[in-house]
Amino acid sequence: MITRRSLLALLGPVVAIALLLAVPAAAGDFEQRAEKFIVSLAQQAIDSLAKPGVQRGERIKRFRVMFNDHFAVHAIGRFVLGRHWQQATDKEQAEYLALFEDLMVVSYVDRFRKYAGENLRVVKSRIEGDSTATVFTEIVRPDIGQAVQVIWRIGAKGDMLKILDVLVEGTSLSQTLRADFGSIIRQREGKVAALIHELRLKTAELKLPDKN
Amino acid sequence: MTASVRRILPSRAIVFVAALLILTGGCATAPNPADREAVAEFAALNDPAEPTNRAVFAINRGIDAVILKPVATFYRDYIPKFFQDRMNDVLDNLRSPVIFVNDLLQGEIDRAIATLARFVVNSTFGLAGLNDLATAIGMEGHDEDFGQTLAVWGVPEGPYVMLPLFGPSNPRDTVGLVVDFLVDPFNVWAGNTNRDYAILSRTGARGVDQRAVHMEALDDIERTSLDYYASIRSLYRQRRAEEIRNGKPSATMPAPGLSQAPAGGNAAASDQAARTQ
Repeated sequence: MITRRSLLALLGPVVAIALLLAVPAAAGDFEQRAEKFIVSLAQQAIDSLAKPGVQRGERIKRFRVMFNDHFAVHAIGRFVLGRHWQQATDKEQAEYLALFEDLMVVSYVDRFRKYAGENLRVVKSRIEGDSTATVFTEIVRPDIGQAVQVIWRIGAKGDMLKILDVLVEGTSLSQTLRADFGSIIRQREGKVAALIHELRLKTAELKLPDKN
Repeated sequence: MTASVRRILPSRAIVFVAALLILTGGCATAPNPADREAVAEFAALNDPAEPTNRAVFAINRGIDAVILKPVATFYRDYIPKFFQDRMNDVLDNLRSPVIFVNDLLQGEIDRAIATLARFVVNSTFGLAGLNDLATAIGMEGHDEDFGQTLAVWGVPEGPYVMLPLFGPSNPRDTVGLVVDFLVDPFNVWAGNTNRDYAILSRTGARGVDQRAVHMEALDDIERTSLDYYASIRSLYRQRRAEEIRNGKPSATMPAPGLSQAPAGGNAAASDQAARTQ
């Protein structure tokens, strides 16, 4: 017969381990959480985007969900607009953010699919301050057989993790977009409305069926 | 090397075209001095000859579309991968002496030794550089050039310049390009023995090889950017900065951050937070 005492003795270590695991995420395992976050993103990309025979419209839908789940869309969008954010009206800000999300989704849906079969390997990670972590990864490009260095900057807000920036071989996605959008606004006398117009044209063009 | 190098270096025709472009293209319009943010932005862009640079960029793209891209596409799609790899290895190995010199000039003795060791292994056991055996046995290579050396010495990059054929650059990297060309033992040998065709073939092969390697990335940027010229300018500078640092991280760039302020909070304050993170 199993007595209450022996049951306790049996379950004691299990309970202790469970308690240990339940301890709120300490700063020490922020690195691990960030690494897991990137690995799971890569796996999701393989699972939901790499399947053959999925229509592009459906892939765009899936990628939009993935993108919003994993990227700090609002923060990146604002950073990219830089000093022009404050000059924009509330309506322009909302319109811009929606188009920015749209552009990212239709720009990267095919690239994610192209690279989805590739091996992403976490090299190391590092904590920067108490709410940002950097995960260093290597992605082997099958077409040239070379490894590409990809760095993910991840921000934490409570339990939530979001990607703030992606750096490919030292070039930052958000810096490049900021230069790109900034140049359009500068050429149109600082008008955010002009950028919104260009974004609308570009996203419409990129939504057209596969040209690849 | 002198006579034939002079023949290979930018000829009078190119100088003439450049002069014409500068005269017709003119300079970028400076912003209203009262708008301090716009003035700061203009200074940070550091592209005073933007209209001229855009004109050169357009010509470069035209040449690329007609010659380089079709050749590189054919090379990538129809030449056996084995041959492409051998070509890549030979071209890389030929660059080793210049990398070695720049490693030394930057005071990177360990990296210089690594470059020298790679060159010896690949030139002998690798059959005149046809096989990158060094990488296979764990001796990874790296690149260096005199533009990077000047940067390490503290020479500022100067304004952005779009070179005809050679693409994005600046005065510092342009000087680097010429110096690397002049000290390259292969070029010295070819120049001394009247083998201009060797220099041209090597430059052409390198161009096609690099164009093929970057095909996909460039196509994506061209397709998805709003202003291809501005995107390339930004990417070139970021890439060079990374190469100069030899991949060591830098924390000086502003970056997006997750604002801790409640949603709809003070826009200026959270923008400031985003900059400092």
